[in-house]
Amino acid sequence: MTIGGIPLAGFLTAMLAAGLVAAAPLVLAALGEAVGERSGLLNLGIEGMMLSGAFFGFTAAYLTGSAVWGVLAGIAAGSLLGTLFAVLTVSLRVDQVLVGLAITIFGAGLTAFLYRDVFGGQNPSLSLDTSRIAIPGLSQIPIIGDAMFNQSLLFYIAFALVPVFAFVLARTRFGLQVRAVGAYPFAADAAGVNVTRIRYQAALIAGAMAGVAGAFLSVADLKIFQIGMTVGTGFIALALTMVGGWNPYRILLAAILFGLLRSLGNGLQIIGVNVRTEFITMLPYIGIMVALALLAGKTSLPAALGVPYARGRR
Amino acid sequence: MAQALGQPNSPVVEMRDITKRFGPVLANDRVSLDLWPGEIHAVLGENGAGKTTLMNVLAGMYQPDSGTIRIAGEPVRLDSPAAALRRGIGAVYQHFTLVPNLSILENVALGAEGGFVLDLAPAEAKVASMLADFGLDVSPRTEIRHLALGQRQRVEIIKVLLRGGRVLLLDEPTSVLTPGEVQSLLDLLRRLRDQGVAVVLITHKLGEALAVSDRVTILRAGRNAGDLGPDVMSGADRESVRARIIAQMFGSSPAAETDDSSMDHLPSVIPTPPRVIPTKEESRRPSRRRPEEPRFLADARHDRGAPAAARDEPTSETLLSLRNISTLGDRGAPALHDLSLDLLRGEVFGIAGVDGNGQKELGEVIAGQRPVTSGRVLLEGADITNRGVAAATRLGIGYVTDDRLHEGSVAESSVADNVALKSIGRKPFSNGFWLNRRAMEQQARRLIAEFDVKTPGPHTPIGMLSGGNIQKLLLARELALEPKVLVCNKPTTGLDLRTTQFVIRSLREQANAGNVVVLIASELDELIEISDRIGVMYSGQLVAVMPRAEADPETLGHLMLGGARRPRKASA
Ligand SMILES: Nc1ncnc2c1ncn2[C@@H]1O[C@H](COP(=O)(O)OP(=O)(O)OP(=O)(O)O)[C@@H](O)[C@H]1O
Ligand SMILES: [Mg+2]
Repeated sequence: MTIGGIPLAGFLTAMLAAGLVAAAPLVLAALGEAVGERSGLLNLGIEGMMLSGAFFGFTAAYLTGSAVWGVLAGIAAGSLLGTLFAVLTVSLRVDQVLVGLAITIFGAGLTAFLYRDVFGGQNPSLSLDTSRIAIPGLSQIPIIGDAMFNQSLLFYIAFALVPVFAFVLARTRFGLQVRAVGAYPFAADAAGVNVTRIRYQAALIAGAMAGVAGAFLSVADLKIFQIGMTVGTGFIALALTMVGGWNPYRILLAAILFGLLRSLGNGLQIIGVNVRTEFITMLPYIGIMVALALLAGKTSLPAALGVPYARGRR
Repeated sequence: MAQALGQPNSPVVEMRDITKRFGPVLANDRVSLDLWPGEIHAVLGENGAGKTTLMNVLAGMYQPDSGTIRIAGEPVRLDSPAAALRRGIGAVYQHFTLVPNLSILENVALGAEGGFVLDLAPAEAKVASMLADFGLDVSPRTEIRHLALGQRQRVEIIKVLLRGGRVLLLDEPTSVLTPGEVQSLLDLLRRLRDQGVAVVLITHKLGEALAVSDRVTILRAGRNAGDLGPDVMSGADRESVRARIIAQMFGSSPAAETDDSSMDHLPSVIPTPPRVIPTKEESRRPSRRRPEEPRFLADARHDRGAPAAARDEPTSETLLSLRNISTLGDRGAPALHDLSLDLLRGEVFGIAGVDGNGQKELGEVIAGQRPVTSGRVLLEGADITNRGVAAATRLGIGYVTDDRLHEGSVAESSVADNVALKSIGRKPFSNGFWLNRRAMEQQARRLIAEFDVKTPGPHTPIGMLSGGNIQKLLLARELALEPKVLVCNKPTTGLDLRTTQFVIRSLREQANAGNVVVLIASELDELIEISDRIGVMYSGQLVAVMPRAEADPETLGHLMLGGARRPRKASA
């Protein structure tokens, strides 16, 4: 059986693979965002951090010829912006929304400028060995095997980080402190937790994860950089964090659903279903809005989300 | 757990010449305080005297501008709560510091040192045995939000003790407790004292301080104003000790203003005869409102110290009626069940009840804040059922919530803004579009003066005031609206003796002017003192309504716990 001239099995594999590859950077960014928000930091700079991660990751990989350096550069760029976010919002107590939006705008401007400056109008692509790693055995499973178990290393790491983050948030001292700081910083402070330190660490994690998510796009997935290439992926990750209720497993689920809806849209176009493309591309976003609407009032935001803490202020 | 800090014959904590300034306010001015192991040390003083500030300095929340702190003889710098905890000093704040969506166990473990991975198992056994020891029948895995206030307070204390706390600081711990809970808390504090813990008890209830403390420190306007040692405290003559404390708290103020023992809400400690609030005769009072020039409390102030006079009988005219009201509580469970009540012009209607029996919901229904599921609310005969808060306010119904800090005020906004908040769209504060800042400021200044609110000025953010001063101001705001019906939920919580008396008098005035005051309170003496009629709520119903003459703490207490009405008394 074939669809639009493509064998059905192959079509499904391609769709699943595309969906998961689209989900991976969302998972990375949303996991970091979840830690940030759990600590009380709403990071609207996530889009700018991803874009910076994508650009610096790409550039480092291009210059060194190594994907590893690329990913590390992406992490470094994100971490730097995450730290900037913490300095402004935690130490100086500037409004988180303002700082976040400023970082997003800054990231877009900076990467656009530097990209033109460094690559002078060319649009090079990476010729790296980020070859896929096929997991013996598992990758042989029909349809899903090739989609799930024949991917890049960073792809596996993204999904492997889900249980790690779940464990850290639920079962470690750091996770407990993050949750307390986001729910009731005064209580955490009175109990002897260093609220400032925890929020800095959380911001660093959020930034690093956004950076690596950006590097995933440019280094592991597309192997090119384009100005503004994240096209709102960061904000999608932000929405998924809320849809997932700050729970890594639910975030994973939401990200995969989103990724699959997106690849389904592409699939429908490929096989030439007679629907307007605009509608098809809207599909995953409508899905997010429906999910957010359905969950409205059912999720409980971290109580101190967006609220700066100052000891002795009442 | 022997003396971890210092010997019993030397102080664990020596605070010397502690000075703490907030902008123009000298909250602590060269204050000294010694704490000894195995003592209960009461810190007393009027609202804004600097008690909480001093405690915050010792707990590492505030850094003093000058002064020294020694712990077990060694000079220390307590630059964070963590540092204070490491030295064995733990605090229970007025607003509890437990994270509501974490378990008891997690709250106890929070901030404690240890490995990266949380291993709660060893602590669990300890916490469980502490909980049992403290009379709490809950699992350590229970989330804090499921606990009652009294239970949370015990968890706070356990938290401090398990961190090795040898100095326990408590800021007005009894203000959130029912009379029964107060007694058991005091017993618990005595036990901790006997184990060598130094307990600091900040309170406005003199009876409590007299009943448990070995030593008393009195603050006034940020300074040490008196010290009473164990020799005095264990002395026979309670009354003279009380008089001495009051004199030191309020300085040279005439005894007439402060002698009132009715603020003492522990009848078992000092028996207090019910008193009639002195008021002037009704005729002096303008009976109708003059909105353009709020009468407010100018009259009330003149009445201070006026001779006692018989209170006017409530005119038998119904102002507000509740007809077969049922409603749901916050969690969706029925809170009021088929409740009917007529409130008469000129009366103070007191509502007694153990917290959580529907008093709060009843207040909110009257205020239009909580919709009823069935029944009707009539104001002067007109149906105002479920018309909402804005309508109720417009019609002259005022409400003072017991959660004044969260529901009642905007902490970052100035005193003037908060005062005008409820009537901000109306004259004189606004012509409907522009705000009249001058009028707002004038009104704020007026209330600050009338209520003797301690604040640097009308532009200070309200969150900077002391707990009691915020309470005063928000109550003043409601009274200034001159509502026909005023519902007050525990209006005197956290107020000092003098202010409590002033508030009670103001409420009486309000009723004497032909209005209705509904007073929800857990302090029975206060309730009996001021109310014309008293209703007892139990399980969402008014189980009894009686005139003041028939009410006494025993009868009310019995009914509050669901007891049957004693046969000897029958009233309409
Ligand atoms: N964080 C702060 N910022 C500004 N001013 C403050 C702050 N904390 C206290 N103050 C001021 O210091 C003074 C003392 O306040 P404090 O809270 O210590 O009084 P208190 O004795 O605890 O009073 P109460 O009985 O009303 O609780 C008050 O005038 C208050 O306005
Ligand atoms: Mg205080």
